[in-house]
Amino acid sequence: MGTIFSSGYTIFLLAFGVGPAVYALFLAFTKNGAFVGFDNFVRVFADYRFLPAVGHVALFVVVWLACLIVFVVLLALIVHAIRIRWLSTTSRFLFYIPGALAGASSVLLWLFVLDPAVSPVSFILEAFGKESFVQVVQTDTLHIVLAIIAFWTGAGGWIVIMYGALNNISDEVMEAARIDGAGPINTAWHIQIPLLRKWISYMAILSLAAGTQLFVEPRVLAQASKGVVTQDYSLNQLAFLYAFRQNDFNGSAAISLVLLVVALGLSVFFVFRGGLFERE
Amino acid sequence: MATQQRTPVRASRALLVGAAVASLGLLAGCAGTGTGEINPEYGFATVEQIADSPITIWVDATRQPAVEAFQAAHPEIEIDLVVDDGSAGASGTFQTKIALADQAGDGWPDVVFSSQANDASWASQPNAGQQAFAAPLNQGFLDDDFLDGFTAGALEPATVDGTVYGLRNDLAPVLFWYNAALFAEFGYEVPTTWEEYEALGEMLAAEHPGYFLGSIGDSFVGPYVYYWAGEAPIFTVDGDSFGSDLSDPNSVKVTTMLDNMVANGTLIQDSLFSAEFVTQSDKLLAIPGAAWYSGALFQNPDNVGAEPGEWGAAAPLVWEDGAEVTGNIGGGMWYASSHSANLDAVKTFMQFIVSDEETAGTGGLPAYDSAAAAWLSGQAESGFFAGDFEGAMSTAAATVWTGWGFPNFSPETAYAKVIVPGLAEGKTIAELSADWEQEMKNEAQTVGYTIG
Amino acid sequence: MVSLNANNRTRQLARAGRLRPITPSVFLGRALAAAVVVFFSLFFIVPIAWLLIAPSKDGRQLLLENPFSVGTLDQFAANWESLMTYQNGLVWTWLGNSAFYATAALVITLVISIPAGYALALTEFRGRHLLLVTTLVVMLIPNTALVLPVFLELSAVRLIGSPLAVILPFSFFPFGVYLTYIYFSTTISRDLLDAARIDGASELRVFGQVALPLATPVVALVGFFSFTGNWTNYFLPFVTVPGRAAPIQVGIAELLANVPQFNPTSAASTTIDLPVLALATLLSVAPVLIVFLFSQRFLVTGMTAGGTKG
Repeated sequence: MGTIFSSGYTIFLLAFGVGPAVYALFLAFTKNGAFVGFDNFVRVFADYRFLPAVGHVALFVVVWLACLIVFVVLLALIVHAIRIRWLSTTSRFLFYIPGALAGASSVLLWLFVLDPAVSPVSFILEAFGKESFVQVVQTDTLHIVLAIIAFWTGAGGWIVIMYGALNNISDEVMEAARIDGAGPINTAWHIQIPLLRKWISYMAILSLAAGTQLFVEPRVLAQASKGVVTQDYSLNQLAFLYAFRQNDFNGSAAISLVLLVVALGLSVFFVFRGGLFERE
Repeated sequence: MATQQRTPVRASRALLVGAAVASLGLLAGCAGTGTGEINPEYGFATVEQIADSPITIWVDATRQPAVEAFQAAHPEIEIDLVVDDGSAGASGTFQTKIALADQAGDGWPDVVFSSQANDASWASQPNAGQQAFAAPLNQGFLDDDFLDGFTAGALEPATVDGTVYGLRNDLAPVLFWYNAALFAEFGYEVPTTWEEYEALGEMLAAEHPGYFLGSIGDSFVGPYVYYWAGEAPIFTVDGDSFGSDLSDPNSVKVTTMLDNMVANGTLIQDSLFSAEFVTQSDKLLAIPGAAWYSGALFQNPDNVGAEPGEWGAAAPLVWEDGAEVTGNIGGGMWYASSHSANLDAVKTFMQFIVSDEETAGTGGLPAYDSAAAAWLSGQAESGFFAGDFEGAMSTAAATVWTGWGFPNFSPETAYAKVIVPGLAEGKTIAELSADWEQEMKNEAQTVGYTIG
Repeated sequence: MVSLNANNRTRQLARAGRLRPITPSVFLGRALAAAVVVFFSLFFIVPIAWLLIAPSKDGRQLLLENPFSVGTLDQFAANWESLMTYQNGLVWTWLGNSAFYATAALVITLVISIPAGYALALTEFRGRHLLLVTTLVVMLIPNTALVLPVFLELSAVRLIGSPLAVILPFSFFPFGVYLTYIYFSTTISRDLLDAARIDGASELRVFGQVALPLATPVVALVGFFSFTGNWTNYFLPFVTVPGRAAPIQVGIAELLANVPQFNPTSAASTTIDLPVLALATLLSVAPVLIVFLFSQRFLVTGMTAGGTKG
């Protein structure tokens, strides 16, 4: 019976999940249909754009994940502790709204925010010594800007999920902690955060996966900055250039595969640490 | 969908996929398909023609009114207009979208405008098993009589091994634009050489701070206006070999001049189309720039918006000891698709858009002689520009330095990546030149050039 | 993890009765917490507030006036007009495409994901473990990494440019399956289902009349994530449905090319002003914003409602 229930999904999984992945694998190790071993990887790794792109993405992911884990958990705990109901609800909703502006829309909005000429927070940009859009999107600090955009868009959703998970912690446990005289910080550290672990690692894995595939933000910024943000800033942009500018789908697939392996390797670590597979 | 000659291949591809998603790998083997029979009438393999079918045209916003003028003149031809960025700033929009269509085997436009000059280098090559996107134009499709009407050399950037793949929209030689009213007010002489231009900058900075002589914040300005016109061999092609020499004496002269003028504030870093530039444009004394600045800056009320008689054009600046040459900024190209199912309509459009006296040139100097003559005399009659406008234009158009190369990539990306942010950080071009040169050479190697 | 029905009201009453005495350190802690919440509220909301008022100004006001000064309704109308007439209402075409793609994908996603998540959590069948692991793995694959292979696959079956080229890949939503799986496995016990089976209910009825009604929150959650995710997706439609078939996300990025500030060659009269671009941005997310507003109550409680011990 379960087979039937899951059959529709299984077909899609094969057609749009496994199929393309296998195809990417095939492409990455072949050239014009012939097996070429690691040639495609060697070519891509030797590309002068590859290592900088790896660096950009890595920096972005580190900053973004750090922001997410620290601030999402912190905000969820605080919001959960708010006892005035409408205040708690409102703040959660405020955090969540930016999630509506994902993709190209959020980048467009941030174009305005990041351009000192029109920015509602130009005083903050100027405080950091940024007087023009070009200075704001300098490559060496762009990962921080991108992390802020990504955090702005996605954090709210996770705060709400964490909040929900906090609500699922039984009252008895919380009461016991209170009777033992644990303050809010102790309770959070020794009771709530350990119980959130599953969700925190879940958030980390999904965000890691999303972070490595950085594409639309630098792409739109490249267009808007007329090339100051380069078209090869992230790995996916590079894969895109390989495919559609150099007509090298094999090289493109090699990059995709690298992304895949890295994300999987890291996520396995998180799976063990976070107990995501608890039930299995 | 008129892909007659590929039907058998299509069928086999479809079958394969239908058979098993897991065997997707096999597809790659089938992807490389030959092209069809060459149609002697056109010089390339044509698809089945469908009379009166609509044609799809990709243009940038600047070219949109020209297409609308065509629609008004030829209501019998149905047009599907798609506005994109015209590949400005070497964004690669044109190439990317064609590559997508090549992969899909469908979805090609019939006509494309690109603001870049070097698209023929890839558009003339087959890709992903599809025949080259750009239709050869001088193998029967367009008459030689018509093609001969172009200014000599205008089709050079779109010519590969003697075959013409694109029609030039406008000539875009760099000349010297100056605010005649301000020059009179300040009592300055209009410079004729780069040395005088730089000296003028020093004087201006001392006597009238805040006034300026141009901007290098756009990625097309630095390479094309200053280095190209300054005869600097920073972007040269010889066969499959690419060269860039920023330590050549001419390159160093340009670099030094730019750094000095940035330092004294007479060259600013705001893009010509930014609000910052527009708000201070009343302090713009003069600017070396392309012929199309006429429509884009001076006759554009949203930009400089000059009064009639206020601005003039002079012959290009040259080095005192150098040849009389100048640079060139684009002067876009029109490409016809070899996959078009209505080549008659495409032909009508291509001829109209470059040669119609009202439309051709889209605000700049038309590349087609008869249209250029009409445009120049129209400008002269209106008296909008002071000085010898026609003479300056003609000199500029005839002296574009031919040492500049048209490889399969643009100098704009490296400039935007290295120089623009570097300047914003307060570095000089001299400090950045090594990185810049390396970046251009890296890009060249990536697309398959050897470094000479 | 056993989850209890979180009854907010009782909990609040319970808490209210045991308030700690306010010591300086507690006060300081609360002040600090309040400061954090206020700071992040501003961070999240200021850009949106700005976006809401920007379209009521003209380009000059946007550049020169106080960022939070409000323009006029007339100017808003003018900007609206300017956006609507852009290429004969191309914006509506883009919005229509988005709505069609996202809705169709939403329906398919729900139809295939909810039963699958249920089957994984609460039934036994051959290959269950494999399917679960594969789901997790594929869920972790950056979906952008699969865009190019998916593109080739679709190209081979000649679907590029067709609505199916977006709808089908959009409908594959392993995250939704995993969410459903997590939900069912943590909130519904097999005992409950077995009880229904003993009462003689068929598998289909067990699913439809026992599990599904309890699953409303997760159905809504999956539907919500699917819709918003697909609406805001850029990369896949960017390559699979170019041109007029593009959804609004791809469309507004193209619009950017016609803003003189961001594209040096757009010097013509048909350009888009900054406030118009702001309006387009707002419009591009309006449906998602509306979904947010309507599901506000539900969203902020998220995963909390429902459970096995009613």
